Amino acid sequence: MANNNGILKILKNRELLVMAFLLIIFFSITSNRFLSPSNISNVLMNISVSGILALGLALVMINGDFDLSFGSALGLLNLFILMFVDKGWNVWVMFALAIVGGILWGMLNAILVVQIKIHAFVATIATWTMCRGFIYWINGGKTFYGKYPDFMTIIGRGTVFGYIPISSIIFIGAAIIVFLLANRSKFGRYIYAVGSNADAAEYVGINSKRIRFTSYLLQGLLIGLSTVILSSKLTSGPATAGDGFQMTVIASAFLGATVFKPGLVNIGGSILGILLLSIIENGLIMLGVPFYFKYIVQGLIIIGAVSFISLKNKRSEGPAIL
Amino acid sequence: MATKEIIMSTTKLNKSFGVTHAVINLDITIEKGDIMGLVGENGAGKSTLIKILGGEYYLDSGQITYQNKIISWNSSAEALKKGIAIVHQHPLLVFSLNAAENIFLGKEFTQGIFLDEKKSIEESKKLVKQYPIYPELDLEKPVIEMSAGEKEVVEILKALSYNPKILILDEPTASLPKDEAESLLKLLVDLNRKKEMTMIYISHKLEETFEICNKITVMRNGENIGMLTNEHFDKNKLVKMMINQDISEFYPEKSSQIGKVLLEANHINSKVLKDVSIHVHEGEIVGLYGLIGAGMTELVESIYGLQPFQSGEIIFNQKKILHPHVDMMVHHGIYLIPADRHQYGLFPSFSVSENITIAHLFSLFPEFLLTRYKENQVATKEAEQMNLKYADINQSIKELSGGNQQKVIVARWLLKECNVLIVDDPTVGIDIGAKRDIYRILRELNSHHKGIIFISSEINEIIGMADRIYTMRRGIITAELPKDEINQENILKNIL
Ligand SMILES: Nc1ncnc2c1ncn2[C@@H]1O[C@H](COP(=O)(O)OP(=O)(O)O)[C@@H](O)[C@H]1O
Ligand SMILES: [Mg+2]
Repeated sequence: MANNNGILKILKNRELLVMAFLLIIFFSITSNRFLSPSNISNVLMNISVSGILALGLALVMINGDFDLSFGSALGLLNLFILMFVDKGWNVWVMFALAIVGGILWGMLNAILVVQIKIHAFVATIATWTMCRGFIYWINGGKTFYGKYPDFMTIIGRGTVFGYIPISSIIFIGAAIIVFLLANRSKFGRYIYAVGSNADAAEYVGINSKRIRFTSYLLQGLLIGLSTVILSSKLTSGPATAGDGFQMTVIASAFLGATVFKPGLVNIGGSILGILLLSIIENGLIMLGVPFYFKYIVQGLIIIGAVSFISLKNKRSEGPAIL
Repeated sequence: MATKEIIMSTTKLNKSFGVTHAVINLDITIEKGDIMGLVGENGAGKSTLIKILGGEYYLDSGQITYQNKIISWNSSAEALKKGIAIVHQHPLLVFSLNAAENIFLGKEFTQGIFLDEKKSIEESKKLVKQYPIYPELDLEKPVIEMSAGEKEVVEILKALSYNPKILILDEPTASLPKDEAESLLKLLVDLNRKKEMTMIYISHKLEETFEICNKITVMRNGENIGMLTNEHFDKNKLVKMMINQDISEFYPEKSSQIGKVLLEANHINSKVLKDVSIHVHEGEIVGLYGLIGAGMTELVESIYGLQPFQSGEIIFNQKKILHPHVDMMVHHGIYLIPADRHQYGLFPSFSVSENITIAHLFSLFPEFLLTRYKENQVATKEAEQMNLKYADINQSIKELSGGNQQKVIVARWLLKECNVLIVDDPTVGIDIGAKRDIYRILRELNSHHKGIIFISSEINEIIGMADRIYTMRRGIITAELPKDEINQENILKNIL
């Protein structure tokens, strides 16, 4: 009995871990390619890009804000890197500039949402659409192919010790830093405080506008970082680049809000969420399920997760995240 | 009044939990049609008493007479069947079920092996018709979607479904917003008038008991201290019975060591305030009193840097504060505890510990990373000093009672050196024990030469607590009353 309780306690609020584990077992049994080294490293590389985006989105959502524009920002910055590399600019300089570009993108959203006080949904739908428009304008709706030095792919496709993708190391590094920042630093406590009660935050001397602004900047930095991995991996600039990540990343935030701190978006949950969603996505492909099922599954997951959160918050009469 | 029929009485009831004597030699008498109030400080034994009456606890010794028979319940189910129903302090509803299912929980209607949901809805409709306390209630709505008030109604309907002769309610309005509490009181009075339902009503909101009860029994430390009938209801007398002290002793002694001026606000003009000047000394509680909207909150929020003002200056320790801003004020050890703790004070998704440390994170943790261990240690120490009642420093702040939540907000500031504490109506809606703790803490600050600006919406409280009072009316200071001029008449004269 005591033993039983112990296990239950450990599992409490960690339902996603169990699910991820069960799914991995399920896919390994049903598909013999699922656990192959090449597939694993493929999944890991995908997770690097979407995972870093998920970290950024979570930071913004903890505050009670939102962003819908990161997918197209990713596409635009990707194009920006490749076009200048094609013109002969230094790859590393372009990578650094892409990160600066990401921060500027975050600043644009922050000015609209925090300073001008446009609702985050409305503001970022607008920047999303505009950004996608720019991409089509620049390369006429076609995929951009340009010259690039071979070493450019080292970040996106390179591995160490044969199997460990460099991009995964970058993601894990980013995940650890953002996790510590959110859960163990004063800044992190403040973003949770602003998300919990922005009025009360002002009364204890927290400048909630500054906190929200900074979160958008950090998210921008992470968008830039994930673009670096993406363009190093793709080395081409499709007009739709970044679109595919949008829903997965948003779903991961909601799914993540069902664990660890139920009812609240949190970093650990988002990381688990993106892992789980990527495994499902890949597993479905391995099973030979048509690609569009991915969208149905994602939709269902968002509905399920948000229903859970909304019921949870109603019960405890806490703040709703949407 | 003709003598009424005695429906229940007790003689020399006793109940102990280990060394705690929760109920001692208790005699009470309830007549048919009574709404008897039961009041007393937290821990006085009220809940224990009614649980004995409702068969949930065995009594250690004593006698209960009910409908002229001496009874001893074997179980709460038996008491329930014989007509004694309790609406508990903490509702015992199943959130995932709807109202009707909750009402008939444990006595479901079945058809063969299946639940008969139609029947349970029908029966609850009948029940609502029989006791029209809240006819608008949607019986098919899951409890999880209900407001606190609706949940309380379901809990009451559930009790009524047993056709009780005595309905016992344990702090039913404690977690209700004001409007829902008021309509619940109306429902209870209605129920009493139309159905002659006898009730025992526990509450720490004395005004409520005055409103609906025809007599009030006071308990203190497990004993029955006495009973007042409605013609003798008197708040001061009742409080005295509850705390065994005169109401004048209810407030701690006033300050005897007032020092130099700590903080002054001079000639403040803003949208609301017109040429307002106040100051507070070391070791002093200075009161601000006026009608709602007279500008007290605006004044302290202007001082605290939360509201802009067009002209005027804030001077702390002889030095002018150039751009008053919350950060700056907190840096100087000037803190404000806002009036509405839910809207402006609490972080509902935070634990008790996190709510305590939030204001002083930077001085508590000069290093980059927070450590939970150290954080909990500091928070626990502060919580003990506040006499906080909590189960676990990591539990959610939402689980604490109003009084304890307020203590957490006070504790938050006292973690670090405080010079001036501004409190805006700090005791609204909290129980007497917590009130006294807060008064005591404020006076302790005084004895360490701290200054306090105290806003209250209760005239007795401001008279009891303040060493000096500024009265306000429509944004101006109308009078400054030194200690020997503080009385009701002088205050009222200047605020109306
Ligand atoms: N089940 C119990 N076990 C141990 N002590 C209890 C229990 N219930 C109540 N007490 C103690 O008995 C005293 C009276 O408590 P209670 O009847 O709940 O008071 P009230 O309802 O007036 O606040 C308190 O000191 C409380 O700690
Ligand atoms: Mg009680």
